[in-house]
Amino acid sequence: MDKKTVDLSLLDGVLAEYASVKGSLITILQNTQDIYGYLPREAIELISEKTGIATSEIMGVGTFYTQFRFEPVGKYLIMLCQGTACHVNSSELILQTVKDELGIEDGQTTEDGLFSLKCVACLGCCSLSPVMMINEDTYGSLTPDKTKKILKELREAAQQ
Amino acid sequence: MVNLTINGKAVQAPEGSTILEAARLADIYIPTLCYDEAVEVYGACGLCVVEAQGIPKLLRSCSAKVSEGMVINTESERVVQSRKIAMELLMSAHDGDCVAPCQLNCPAKTDCQGYVGLIANGEYDAAIKLIKNKIPLPASIGRVCPHPCEKACRRQNVEEPINIAQLKAFAADMDLKSDSYLPECKPASGKTVAIIGGGPAGLTAAYYLTIMGHSVTVYDMMDKMGGMLRYGIPQYRLPKEVLDKEIAIIEKAGVKLVNNVKLGRDFTIKSLKEQNDAVIVAVGAWKSSSMRTPGEDLEGVYGGIDFLRAVIQGNAPAIGEKVAICGGGNTAMDACRTAVRLGAKEVYVIYRRTRNEMPADKLEIDEAEEEGVTYKFLTNPLSFNGENGKLKSVTLQLMELGEPDASGRRKPVPIEGKTEEIELDSVILAIGQKLVAEDVAELTLNSRGNIEADPDFFTTEIDGVFAIGDATNRGASIAIEAIGEADRCARAVDAFLNGQALDTRVPYISKRDESTIDYSDREKKERLNPKVLAPEVRNKNFDEVSLGFTEEEAQEEAKRCLECGCREYFKCKLLKVAQRYDIMPERFKGVMPQKYTHDENAFIERNTAKCILCGLCVRSCREVMNLSSIGLLGRGFTTDVSPAFSLPLDQTNCNNCGLCVQLCPTGSLTEKFALEKQVPLNEEYTEEFVDINGKQASVKVSRYNGKVLRVIPNDEISRNSGLTRDELMAKVIK
Amino acid sequence: MRIVIGQGSCGIAAGAEKVRKALLAANVNPADVSITGCIGMCYLEPIVDIYDDDNNLTRLVKVSENDAAAIASFVESGDVKAVENLVVTDEDSEFLSKQTRIALRNCGVINPEQIDAYTNAGGYSALKKALCELSPEEVIEIIKISGLAGRGGAGFPTWFKWNAARQSAGDEKYLICNADEGDPGAFMDRAVIESDPHNLIEGMLIGAYAIGAKHAVVYVRAEYPLAIKRLKNAIAQAKDKGIIGENIFGTGFSCDFMIKAGAGAFVCGEETALIESLEGHRGMPRLKPPFPAQSGFWRKPSNINNVETFANVAWIINNGGEAFAAMGTEGSKGTKVFAVTGKVKRSGLVEIPMGKTLRDVIFDIGGGMKTDKPFKAVQMGGPSGGCIPSDLIDTVIDYKALGATGAIMGSGGMVVMDESTCMVGMAKFFLDFTAKESCGKCIHCRIGTKRMLEMLERITKGEGKEGDIELLEELCYSIKDGALCGLGQTAPNPVLTTIKYFRDEYEAHIKDKKCPAGECSDLIEYRIIADKCKGCTLCARNCPVNAISGTVKNPHVINTEKCIKCGKCYSSCRFGAIVKE
Repeated sequence: MDKKTVDLSLLDGVLAEYASVKGSLITILQNTQDIYGYLPREAIELISEKTGIATSEIMGVGTFYTQFRFEPVGKYLIMLCQGTACHVNSSELILQTVKDELGIEDGQTTEDGLFSLKCVACLGCCSLSPVMMINEDTYGSLTPDKTKKILKELREAAQQ
Repeated sequence: MVNLTINGKAVQAPEGSTILEAARLADIYIPTLCYDEAVEVYGACGLCVVEAQGIPKLLRSCSAKVSEGMVINTESERVVQSRKIAMELLMSAHDGDCVAPCQLNCPAKTDCQGYVGLIANGEYDAAIKLIKNKIPLPASIGRVCPHPCEKACRRQNVEEPINIAQLKAFAADMDLKSDSYLPECKPASGKTVAIIGGGPAGLTAAYYLTIMGHSVTVYDMMDKMGGMLRYGIPQYRLPKEVLDKEIAIIEKAGVKLVNNVKLGRDFTIKSLKEQNDAVIVAVGAWKSSSMRTPGEDLEGVYGGIDFLRAVIQGNAPAIGEKVAICGGGNTAMDACRTAVRLGAKEVYVIYRRTRNEMPADKLEIDEAEEEGVTYKFLTNPLSFNGENGKLKSVTLQLMELGEPDASGRRKPVPIEGKTEEIELDSVILAIGQKLVAEDVAELTLNSRGNIEADPDFFTTEIDGVFAIGDATNRGASIAIEAIGEADRCARAVDAFLNGQALDTRVPYISKRDESTIDYSDREKKERLNPKVLAPEVRNKNFDEVSLGFTEEEAQEEAKRCLECGCREYFKCKLLKVAQRYDIMPERFKGVMPQKYTHDENAFIERNTAKCILCGLCVRSCREVMNLSSIGLLGRGFTTDVSPAFSLPLDQTNCNNCGLCVQLCPTGSLTEKFALEKQVPLNEEYTEEFVDINGKQASVKVSRYNGKVLRVIPNDEISRNSGLTRDELMAKVIK
Repeated sequence: MRIVIGQGSCGIAAGAEKVRKALLAANVNPADVSITGCIGMCYLEPIVDIYDDDNNLTRLVKVSENDAAAIASFVESGDVKAVENLVVTDEDSEFLSKQTRIALRNCGVINPEQIDAYTNAGGYSALKKALCELSPEEVIEIIKISGLAGRGGAGFPTWFKWNAARQSAGDEKYLICNADEGDPGAFMDRAVIESDPHNLIEGMLIGAYAIGAKHAVVYVRAEYPLAIKRLKNAIAQAKDKGIIGENIFGTGFSCDFMIKAGAGAFVCGEETALIESLEGHRGMPRLKPPFPAQSGFWRKPSNINNVETFANVAWIINNGGEAFAAMGTEGSKGTKVFAVTGKVKRSGLVEIPMGKTLRDVIFDIGGGMKTDKPFKAVQMGGPSGGCIPSDLIDTVIDYKALGATGAIMGSGGMVVMDESTCMVGMAKFFLDFTAKESCGKCIHCRIGTKRMLEMLERITKGEGKEGDIELLEELCYSIKDGALCGLGQTAPNPVLTTIKYFRDEYEAHIKDKKCPAGECSDLIEYRIIADKCKGCTLCARNCPVNAISGTVKNPHVINTEKCIKCGKCYSSCRFGAIVKE
């Protein structure tokens, strides 16, 4: 999503529902991120205006929780599980495979805007470890080859 | 009221008090870094932990409430260990220099950054006071010191170090021009101290002991005081008139000076000790060292310091036209340049390594060359050859540089079979100097032939007799070493005279890792040196070569200072707590959480590299001022204090109330001084009241040497007045 | 015939939804197809249960969408031959039959998206009993008798917390469920919410009634979207039935329900940080005292319990405290759910009575190692817990007995490790986790965990030095003593337990610069055994830095100077010709 064109009217509903409900900042930010894919500065400023919460505090909350992003992410957000079971089952190999295949590090997005990589805390699918989630889908029992195949399929799907 | 016991003391505190409040009521100190009455308790720093009998966990005293019969220990082993580790961890992540490297590298620990900064601001008066805290002979030392300070100066990573030594000479010269600064002495203690030797060490110890209230007499064998400064340094480098003036001030301060009396001849150490409460032996090293080269006994071979002394005393030997000086240090430079001035036509300096390895000051090496001296690098005398007992020539072994030795310098090795012979009228051996052992026959000497003195207490084998300077331990060194020792010795003697224990521990200070410092954003600005006499003029006389800095030059040069030392050093709460515990943060050395950054508005400067995340700034901005101009960003180790979106402070709603600065326990948030060049100064704070719109408002005023440096709002009225600092300051100064 | 497809997150990840769609496409009657939650045999997912009209179960495991036609034919004909290869083995069935399920009693049995399925299984009868027949004090008494203790990790008696909250002054109180299951390696809470959300709601309502709270809040990790969806759905259904809201069952008791999603911060599992987060702030722990029971959410008296704790409540009210207390040991009553994962053969959810041993769980139920390497240790309690070595395999599952090992019961994560796991690396893994998750408030945790991590990193790189172990220990004890909250206070446990039981492994890294488990890449070397190498060139083709040379059908050689120790050759070799040393 182009950062320059942030349509703030998309926030009207969220703000109408939560702006005056105390303690709702995280909920508002979650909804905002659902809308834009990240937390645009303009949106934070508007949230501050409507809720009366200082921007420094909103940023304080936003940067505290790993869920929030301040930059747009790729079409496919790869969330690679860093849980214990995944660690024991060599998730490090999967991470290296993804890095090698996409040429990006944790927290980065590929130049074509297709993939973003994020290492995340345990996804709770430990029995299928090592595991990754790409957008809403979970992929388990990964091997380097299987990972390569998944990424290839997604890339092809995107190109069609 | 609740009754409890803290450290064995019965304490009463109101119901609902915290343990910390109760301790403070009873005047029991518990360290804190994140606590302040102005904001809600936070519990981050964990320094306020105490142990309560019957409670397995340590309690944070800022939040734990008192209860009847509680038994608290605020300094138990477990508590101290917890605080110690907390401070070690904290300091391992605190990226800052308490004190500038120049000061740390000065053997006398002179506050170089302080006086350089004051000179930059034209505060010469304050500068000389600061210098004289450590050096009583600054005009002389400024001229002759090989300035280890400059070797540590970080400006050299940009282009060249600050000309610290010459700036010191400048400030001292300014002071000598009119009413010179005279220190205030403590009331007379009734104790007497005798000092043997009136060189830099003896005079310095005398000066500081006099200020401490003791009656001090300096005994010296020569006609005049000054020791090697007078008899070992040529006039063109240190005019004796300057030295005379500085000694006169020392005398005026109350030091009694007695010349032409010699240890062993006129008195003994023991006889002086019988008449005085303490004796300091500072006799120096007055004998030239030998090179053990065949022919050293020939006529025409002189010792370096003997030669210099003779010239200074007006007894210059007939050195002839062809002269060679052996050695590469500053005495060699003094000797060769003196030889030039005495009219020698060919002056050689024989040195076994190359120019790069010469220990002499670079400026001296260059200036000597300009005056016509010829360097014979990579040569070593094999023999001095004579005829009828008189020197005729020297045979030199040619050398080359081999592998580095223990000192890191490449070791010169002879080139087999290659020699050179130079005809000479005289040779001067400037390779070192030694104590005259017979003078101190009452004391046993160490293997190096020097007096063994305790490195911390300066005591000798005789009770009440101390020893310092060139005559001790490792032998002759530079004057500022002797001055530093003398200053510390004065404190040791003072403690001895008062029957007090002397704390010789070096207090912990924070130092930055040099390898992590980035200079790329520093603008280059050339180092200024004072103008000098032209070589063809100066090589014919003994006039002072350096013309000294003009005021303009001095200020411009001083402004180049990078301000390495922390402005909040003197009131840093973090440092005070750190120094309370015997900490070794290097055990936990690791990455720093934040980059060294710089953000400032008109009054406040932020550097999050020094931040300890106590949260006082963020909390006070929110809770007291209701502004939230700054907040916490991120989490964990790299949590940062910053305005939203990492904006500069200037682009926030900050109203410059200064509360955050006031509460910051370290130098992460500081308020600038009303000075052009910022400089760490030990200000004094007072609370004063000013009229703001008809209301009386409290402000905190900091002054240094009588000058107002900062005015900080201190209550709701002054914080919300909307006045700028300049306007507020105008109200105070008026 | 009824076809029930296990659709917990694991099942879906393994392809259960694809199987469901394939079955529908294979023309089975849509009315016969339904879903259930997590059966707990995660290693066998996707699982399809087929009940005949007499409710006899045929369980098909590791089903793929390609099996749809065969299943359809089985449903059609009743001839099990069609799916014979999919039917669960007797051995695998023991995974469930050896368990005692209370908290998980409905998991994988009922449809989690239908309230009727829950009520048909006896759901909400305990709530009705509590509200209509028992006083709040009597409820607390029953819980006291049951011996139920906090299943989140600390094991604090539930009745005590409830009683403290009940005794707290004020009529506005909150009952909060901590579903911020952050321990890597633990997923029983997710399974309960996804598989039996009404059981959680019922337990919470009983708790709310007991402490006098009119508001119930569930704080769920944002990483559990399916759990949130099913819980929301369940709350809506319960509201429709008047089970949540005003005047429940006409008793005058009212309680509303709210879900708050966390946003990714492990520290929010700490109760005061959780409250900060609920209020919309940074999840930084508050000082205690005051405790939440006095001043919690919005500074009102609040009681916080874990999902599994609540999941036991309805059963206890229905069956009596004594029945629950009849299971377990002197100090630990009832059952405990464990998420058994790692190098174990059968991984999944295991609920067993307290008092069983680790061996029962890992070997008897879990089937032992899935690799050919011997069992080395089990990690319990996640980042707050520790590693229990193989010679303590007979340790009894009991708060006290587990605590004595240096580990903790924790929330129930049990990660099984074999000899290929480096214990220094394990400690490093957890410290990396806690350092990343430290909120940054207190010095000991913020800087201490980071410095410990740095030391462990140095050790695993072969840069450790004499005295490092002692320094680590000193730092560990100091952090335990000085950190502000539970996260920091327990962060050193993984280091302390690995030093305690595997000190020689630390010393090997430090003194010999060797990693006995062969895991630390800086301390190992890869080598090709010429006799075993067939010269297939696969390793050479996989090597990212061209460090392997050799010609086809001839033994290859690794240039150790060039080798970056990525291990790709090792994992690609099909002949076991590559060794790491």
